[in-house]
Amino acid sequence: MTSAAVQGVKRLFQKLKRPLLESLLAIIIGLIIGAILMAIFGYDPIAAYSALLIGSLGSFDGICESLANATPLMLTGLTFAIGVKSGYFNVGAEGQAYLGAIGAIMIGSTIHLPYGVHLAIATLFAMLMGALWSLPVSALKAWRGVHEVVSTIMLNWIALFFVRYLIEYHFYEPGRAERAMPVLPTARYQVLGASLTTVIFVALAFMLFAYFLLWRTTLGYELRLTGSNPEAARYIGINSTRVIFLNFFLGGLAAGLAGATQVLGRPPAWTIYKTLGNVMNLGFDGIGAALIGRNHPIGIIFASILLGVLSYGAKFMMYLGVDPDLARAINGAIIIALSLPELYRIIRRLIVGRGAE
Amino acid sequence: MSIVKNALKIFGGKSDEKEFRGFRKMRGPPPKKGEILVRAENVVKGFPGIWEHLILDHINFDVRAGEVHALLGENGAGKTVLANILSGFYVITSGQIYVRGKPVKFSSPRDALEHGIAMVHQEFTLVPTLTVAENIALGLKEYSSLSFPLKEVERRLAELSERYGLKVDPKARVEDLSAGERQRAEIMKVLYWEPDVLILDEPTSMLTPHEVDELFKVLRGMAAENKGVVFITHRIEEVMKVADRVTVLRLGKFMGTKPIQETSKEELLRLMIGEVEPFRPVRKPVKSERPVLEVRDLHVIGREGVEAVRGVTFTIREGEIFGIAGVAGNGQRELVEALTGLRKVKSGKIIVMGKDVTNKSPRELAKLGVRHIPEDRRGVGVAEPMTFGENIMMRDYCSPPFSKNGIIDYDFVTRHAKELIKKFEILTPDIWDTEVRILSGGNIQRLILARELWVEPKLLIAFHPTYGLDMKALTHTHKLFMRLREKGSAILLVSEDLEEVMSLSDRIAVMFRGKFMGVVDASKATVEEIGMMMAGIKPKEVSA
Repeated sequence: MTSAAVQGVKRLFQKLKRPLLESLLAIIIGLIIGAILMAIFGYDPIAAYSALLIGSLGSFDGICESLANATPLMLTGLTFAIGVKSGYFNVGAEGQAYLGAIGAIMIGSTIHLPYGVHLAIATLFAMLMGALWSLPVSALKAWRGVHEVVSTIMLNWIALFFVRYLIEYHFYEPGRAERAMPVLPTARYQVLGASLTTVIFVALAFMLFAYFLLWRTTLGYELRLTGSNPEAARYIGINSTRVIFLNFFLGGLAAGLAGATQVLGRPPAWTIYKTLGNVMNLGFDGIGAALIGRNHPIGIIFASILLGVLSYGAKFMMYLGVDPDLARAINGAIIIALSLPELYRIIRRLIVGRGAE
Repeated sequence: MSIVKNALKIFGGKSDEKEFRGFRKMRGPPPKKGEILVRAENVVKGFPGIWEHLILDHINFDVRAGEVHALLGENGAGKTVLANILSGFYVITSGQIYVRGKPVKFSSPRDALEHGIAMVHQEFTLVPTLTVAENIALGLKEYSSLSFPLKEVERRLAELSERYGLKVDPKARVEDLSAGERQRAEIMKVLYWEPDVLILDEPTSMLTPHEVDELFKVLRGMAAENKGVVFITHRIEEVMKVADRVTVLRLGKFMGTKPIQETSKEELLRLMIGEVEPFRPVRKPVKSERPVLEVRDLHVIGREGVEAVRGVTFTIREGEIFGIAGVAGNGQRELVEALTGLRKVKSGKIIVMGKDVTNKSPRELAKLGVRHIPEDRRGVGVAEPMTFGENIMMRDYCSPPFSKNGIIDYDFVTRHAKELIKKFEILTPDIWDTEVRILSGGNIQRLILARELWVEPKLLIAFHPTYGLDMKALTHTHKLFMRLREKGSAILLVSEDLEEVMSLSDRIAVMFRGKFMGVVDASKATVEEIGMMMAGIKPKEVSA
């Protein structure tokens, strides 16, 4: 038993060695590029990087804040990753997260229920709202052949204005019209420290659920088979319509939950603003998390934490005087460097696949 | 695309004549008639990992100025590989190539082109949204300096067009051209470089008979200009019509080079497909009269919206192997797709074990015991990026004991995979860490056979089950089929390998233009009879 476990760990390490090394190298390259950028504009890279690290990881609050930033990203990253695994380019997490956020407000701010029940129902409703927003994508894809990139981007914009309308006319906070009504205390996740709440456990549980679904169940197998070779899936008799709906629906659930984390699980506001500033770009940043995490649920968890650290730590670089835009550019350089191995793999697969014919 | 077009307008103009004249000078004086332009000596080519046997086994081949030299062989004989070697696309494993007597080693197609050897590929390589002239301009070196000598190209194309009787409008967009015109454009593209040797890979496969005649005129015209033309085909009539000499390959082996006057259709056929008398394994007659598959007046629409299967009726009984022979593209693919639930039936009925299964999905068919070995084993039969284990459970993953309540039982699949690896002699480094992409073609086919045939199927539909396999894998497959037959499985065998169809089948149907030309008893059938039917000629007596 123990020897089997040791062997298991060894094999896991063997499998992970390469991606870990690649990622480490990518981080170093990214940091060097960032350092060069800073040097060009006259900042001290070493001071800036130490500010970033000390700020985001040097204190309990810093760690909590970084993790709070990471929470929604892992979920939107998962949306993208499930899409890739099933052979689709799902960039709809952005709009679905808005819907999740407003869904959380709908239940969380207007209905009175006991503590646990209220929280659970609000969370589930938010997830369903996100998933609901994925249905047109699936329907258009399955029955009209509309490419998912087109339909998800269009639906992202519709979601933006639709949610703004809902906040402005139906769910605004009296006296503070710039935002929606905060959710009631019975629909708030417990604060662990700074703005980190227990919602991170819900997110982690969902990631593990996705992992289990993709690799342990027949449904997940169907998704992955379709993603790796749609012709083989057809030949075996897999219902492609079902795969389409399942993939986008799962993605929608994850994105909806991502939106909910920002409302039910993010003090101090416990709500969204009319600008949607606190849910904006979660979907797109999630794509970065998915690419860095090699489209694997477990990898995405770590990638999101890294992104959380970078985004929260960037604030401390700014305190040091680094221009905010430059701080973002440095983060961008690191993220691009980290995504390159996965991008390279995708491109090489395309080229090698063609060459082998 | 419009950006490219605008760029063309802005930069148009510079001549490239220097460039190909430079080639000309480098290559020495124009060849005299009969001079040996290219010679391949003992060329060996292997693709380790993909094919187990040598794809070219000590081939000797030469092309002379002023001749049309046909390269004849069945699919998988190695014709295209040889052509790709001569034109610099592939590197040889061993052997030597000489250009006009000098030993050479090509590092790229461009290199071969500079030595005067050009190839027209079977599949089209032109960009559909550009014009013919723009396509050719793309291949010029000036492209890299962003100046397109478009006017010059158009002028020279018109000239070439006249000289060889190749009618193509240089200003026409490629996507608007017919298959024949596209092919002429492809030929133009390489003729532009004034090659001494022009290799055409299966140029007639997409053409109408009239277009074929036109093409042959062009080929003779080029030979008359002391070019060496290599014409790859698997059609003997075409060889007799246009070639001066012919070289036959069979399964990577050199079968001989003959002047056309000294050979005959019969001899070429024998060289191409081997000894005419096929090997027939010992077998007992079909015992059962119970039909497994009944197909009644089946009509199926093919890819291009044309009716590809036009009224086919047959029955396969328990323990019977029913072979379908025919030249590729006569509706076999569509028939198999309809029978396996991958293509909608227009009209007619498919009945398996007494149940109407017309337009049922592959999964429902699998439940009735129908198993399918697909034609394209890498593209359809497996998911290459997935592991061996994930591929071995592909057919049965959704039923116990592979999975229970939707949860996959990996322990069972591992045990099952190990068993099949042993039983079917599959070579794979691992079950869960190996992507099947790295397996050889033979091992992928073994994987598919194992996955489809580990239970005795009621009906097996096998499309080209042994294409490209080595002798060992081939015999293995044939033995397996005979064993299944003994045990009562009905087998539909579609294959272009006549020898295989004749040695395995109990009855043989020949498909021609979507219909059966006839169904014959395999023990009485002769190659001539079947060959005639494959060419569309009805034999005197037909037994249904």
